[in-house]
Amino acid sequence: MLFGLLCLTFAISHVMPGDPARLAAGPDANESMVETLRARYGLDRPLGVQFVRYLGGVVTGDLGQSLRSRNAVLDDLVRYFPNTFELVTLALLLAVVVGVPLGMLSAVYQNTWIDHVTRVVSVSGVALPAFWLGLMLQLLVGLYLGWLPLGGRLGLTATPPAPITHLLFVDALLRGEWRTFADAVAHAVLPVVTLCFPALASIMRVNRAEMLETLRQDYIVTARAQGFSGFRVVTRYALRNAMIPTFTMIGLRYGWMLGGTVLIETVFDWPGIGLYAVNAAVSSDFQPIMGVTLVIGLNFMLANLLVDLAYGWLDPRIRRASVA
Amino acid sequence: MKTVRILLLGLLTLTLLATPAVAPVPAFERAGDRKILVFAGRQEVPTIDPSVKYDWSIRMMQQALYDALVKYVGNPPEIVPWLAERWEVSPDAKTWTFHLVKNARFHSGDPVTAEAVRWSFARTLKLNQGPAWTLSDFLKEDGIKVLNDQTIQFTLTQPYAPFLSWVPWWYVMNPKQVMANEQAGDLGQKWLTDNAAGSGPFKIKRWQQGVLYEIEAVDGYWKGWPSKDHVGGVILKLVRESAAQRAALLRGEADIVEGLSADDYDQVAKTPGIVVPNFPGMTTFGLKMNTQKAPTNDANLRKAVAHAFDYDSLIKIYNGNAILQTSPFPNATRGHVAVPGFPRQDLAKAKEFLAKSAYPNGGIELEYVYVQGLEEERKMGLVLIDNLGKLNLKVKMVPLTWPNMVARGAKVESSPDLMAVFTTPLSTDPDAVAYQYHRNSYGKYYASSFYQNADVWGLIERARTLAKWEDRAPLYADIQKRIAADAPELFGMLANRRWGMRDHVKGFVFSPVRFTGEVDVYPLTIVAK
Repeated sequence: MLFGLLCLTFAISHVMPGDPARLAAGPDANESMVETLRARYGLDRPLGVQFVRYLGGVVTGDLGQSLRSRNAVLDDLVRYFPNTFELVTLALLLAVVVGVPLGMLSAVYQNTWIDHVTRVVSVSGVALPAFWLGLMLQLLVGLYLGWLPLGGRLGLTATPPAPITHLLFVDALLRGEWRTFADAVAHAVLPVVTLCFPALASIMRVNRAEMLETLRQDYIVTARAQGFSGFRVVTRYALRNAMIPTFTMIGLRYGWMLGGTVLIETVFDWPGIGLYAVNAAVSSDFQPIMGVTLVIGLNFMLANLLVDLAYGWLDPRIRRASVA
Repeated sequence: MKTVRILLLGLLTLTLLATPAVAPVPAFERAGDRKILVFAGRQEVPTIDPSVKYDWSIRMMQQALYDALVKYVGNPPEIVPWLAERWEVSPDAKTWTFHLVKNARFHSGDPVTAEAVRWSFARTLKLNQGPAWTLSDFLKEDGIKVLNDQTIQFTLTQPYAPFLSWVPWWYVMNPKQVMANEQAGDLGQKWLTDNAAGSGPFKIKRWQQGVLYEIEAVDGYWKGWPSKDHVGGVILKLVRESAAQRAALLRGEADIVEGLSADDYDQVAKTPGIVVPNFPGMTTFGLKMNTQKAPTNDANLRKAVAHAFDYDSLIKIYNGNAILQTSPFPNATRGHVAVPGFPRQDLAKAKEFLAKSAYPNGGIELEYVYVQGLEEERKMGLVLIDNLGKLNLKVKMVPLTWPNMVARGAKVESSPDLMAVFTTPLSTDPDAVAYQYHRNSYGKYYASSFYQNADVWGLIERARTLAKWEDRAPLYADIQKRIAADAPELFGMLANRRWGMRDHVKGFVFSPVRFTGEVDVYPLTIVAK
């Protein structure tokens, strides 16, 4: 699957119009300068040779060099990917922690004010463009109320902790730099909330629909008839069964969010992989594009693997079937 | 129901508690007794290697970290001595001799010598990147001679009068420091991506790629500081969204911002504590017409288009902060003349030209290509549709990404009928603009009209080799008139350069030869109220 992804990305990035060497050389560069760059980055070789060299590099951990930043793509990914990973993971966690209970409540109290409010929230989450919401939050909470910073990962004078995992929150905790951690949390609130909102809405909608379906099942009626408390019936029997499609949604969302953070990263100056990819795309800088696609593809596959494993944990029938 | 309300209340309380209140930061940062200026810019600085690349953000940092033999200062831009205290040129403009100051020091403490200058020029020529194109046709490595520690001589392969006008962009590096960090014969390219080996007024403090770049003032800078209140450092913080830049300025998180929309500049200018410097720039905006492919290879059709266009709309799009071009050359270019009869909207004349063209009744469609997402260019397209409709000419608007546009404009066959292009010349010498119309510029985005006129090319070639300005000036006047007469493009306007600035920032010196957004941070001061 990864090989297919590599082939596809290589093919697409090489049929894109635009000469990466000319763009990297600059608008005033003469033909000899363009040729110098083309030779230096092996762009003068036949496509087949370039592809084989690229595959060979991938196997040995060399993802090539960015024509724009002049850095090794792997170094750039190590710099930018952890930021996106933290942003997406926090946003998704928040979406699950808030979305699942709200979806459940909405189903349990169907057609009450709770249901109406959560449905408005879920429709808004799907309908509002993320960049608009981000800008509005930035203006309201950042500019007018002055409660939170406008963007970035840390304050201007703050120095990030020496990297251990390259994850800012984790590194700040591991190094015991509490001020930096608090600063990072303050900077993360608005982008996390903005990115979380559409995911929260989707999770809430799916969870509500599944809960409504599940709550009408015979075994739920039986459980109620046997005198189990409403709380136990809902959380232990109904929610667990309703979570399987919700988990599928979470897995899909994770992949989508990893590849779709660019607007949030732009609005909040979050130095992530989305911005890196877009900057590379507008410069026809295809090595970073392929590197980013590879990383996102890998993470997407990993997320779906985790979701598949979670099915077994949630539903013993699936676990038993796979064992059998 | 009660449980639900308690749950919701709890959730709300938790959210509020988890939201730490952050007080607005002071107008500028302080590091000890240093006042740090915060510049919110949209463009990254992928490398600061002076031999490799330049654009406005890169050059702003290069100018702060490095020195060159001479420097552009002021408006109109003047070339003033810097590392070189004086220079001489031979009567044939072929041999240029520079005498260096004796007290210049690199940040490492090593003296700036003629050998360092030679090595820096040779490195740029060898790497054949960045500013190399400006001199590589005339200067070869063996033409650079060190006469003594303080004297260097450049002997060009042929006379080239504009030589000096390019020298400000050839920064001098410390060869000892660079070569100590060389990897696999790369002449220090990898190291110089985010390290500096210069002698400029600032040195690097922090370099967080994709986040911010911080430089600090060099105590005892060899050239001295223009004011005791000079900035103690500069943070170039990446703020990529225009609304966020504006918010940062209003909130006092940034002292200077660039790249706001015309409306945003007007709005922030009304805010107490903020000033908006507003100067005519050197960046021309024009619609390049493909002169070698039908239908725009018809000169009369091009002239009809040029006379049908409503030029005042260009000024309106920039809320009045632009001036119309009066020549193919920007006003700040040396030798600029206002060309008599330069096209302005005149529908009767436009119809006359159309009648003389191969399309007397119109009825054709012209393709207008512009940068996707650039609102000003989109609006110009709408004006074009309206104006050319009166000649029964249709306009098809095609937004493209910049790489796609560059690719389209690189060849005659694919270059569109009309292509919206902003061009900033790198020097004030007329050759920098005139040469854009020479056949050797074909393939570059600003030559997408594929202009051809052998007489004009001959004049351009001759004018650059003459040593005396008195001999060159009339040739450039003639060149401007001839290019205008051929109408290879719809010559538009020069948009003003603007920045949003907190009013405690003083000492700003504008120079139109700098790129859009670029600020010379050396003379800046912060005067706290």
